[in-house]
Amino acid sequence: MPATILTSDSESVAADARRDGDALWLRNDELLATTGWEIKPEGVCRGELCVPLPEDRAGALLTERDGATWLDVAGFASFVGLDTAHDAATDTWYFGPGPAEGRGQLSMLEAPDFELPDLEGRMHRLSNHRGKKVLLALWASW
Amino acid sequence: MRGAEVEREFIEAGKPDHPSLIDPTFVVPELYNTRNVPAVFWIDESGTIVRGNDPVYAVRRNRETGESTTNERYLEAVRDWVRNGPSSIYVTQPAETQRRVGSSDDANDQAMAHFRLGVYLDRHGHHGEAVTQFKQALALKPENWNYRRQAYNLGSADEYGMTMQEAMQAVGPMYAVPLELPDPPAG
Repeated sequence: MPATILTSDSESVAADARRDGDALWLRNDELLATTGWEIKPEGVCRGELCVPLPEDRAGALLTERDGATWLDVAGFASFVGLDTAHDAATDTWYFGPGPAEGRGQLSMLEAPDFELPDLEGRMHRLSNHRGKKVLLALWASW
Repeated sequence: MRGAEVEREFIEAGKPDHPSLIDPTFVVPELYNTRNVPAVFWIDESGTIVRGNDPVYAVRRNRETGESTTNERYLEAVRDWVRNGPSSIYVTQPAETQRRVGSSDDANDQAMAHFRLGVYLDRHGHHGEAVTQFKQALALKPENWNYRRQAYNLGSADEYGMTMQEAMQAVGPMYAVPLELPDPPAG
């Protein structure tokens, strides 16, 4: 069944997701496309960061099906401590950033990087302004 | 009128010569661990936060009278930083910067997941499901005014059983970290 997968910086659909109780199974290709995580021999990896799965966990979180490897991404998120929210009615899931992202930077007073559009749709990336002082002002119309 | 079209009105009225970015999914409040707007951060040339989470607007416009008030004291502090960099008296020391910026908060991280899911659901026409998520966010972190202000803006206080006034009485002030600017040197 299609599941909408939201992360801190993406929104996409995993067309072949399978729900089973609390588990959300994604095939490796859809896992990578929607979350940036990928099943590798070293474990479940995102870029250079790999989380090895202990044997007892690997059995519960990984499965082979139809010639591909699948991960219970909900179970994995719980295992690595990603904050998760889920709406059953619309099969929409949100997986928060891991401890290596955002929160770790902020505790070292490194300004977390981001890229956002202006009203004309031009993208602006904070780190492109390195070498200058930046005043970052968060506001809302409420 | 919702989202970017509301912000467009404000941005165009303000006529800024700095970029005004649109953040409909609340990426930056999540990254910067904020609790309310306004929230201003000073980032130096190396990408380090040297002053943070100031609850200030540079210019405040009274919506009823149309009168504008400029926060000259804050602007002068910013200019001082531009001129003097790390030796500005308005830059805070790392421990103080950290105190104002706030540190890791498991309850808020979990609340943020519910909140951002709620924002998505509302944007896609699933208001009831969004309210369910906003309620969970507020239950976990009632003093995160971003959540309450956005939730009430997308629906009504009735859905949450508490007016904004009642929330302030129950939960505490809107700005937990007040602005504290050192006095400018004499002369």
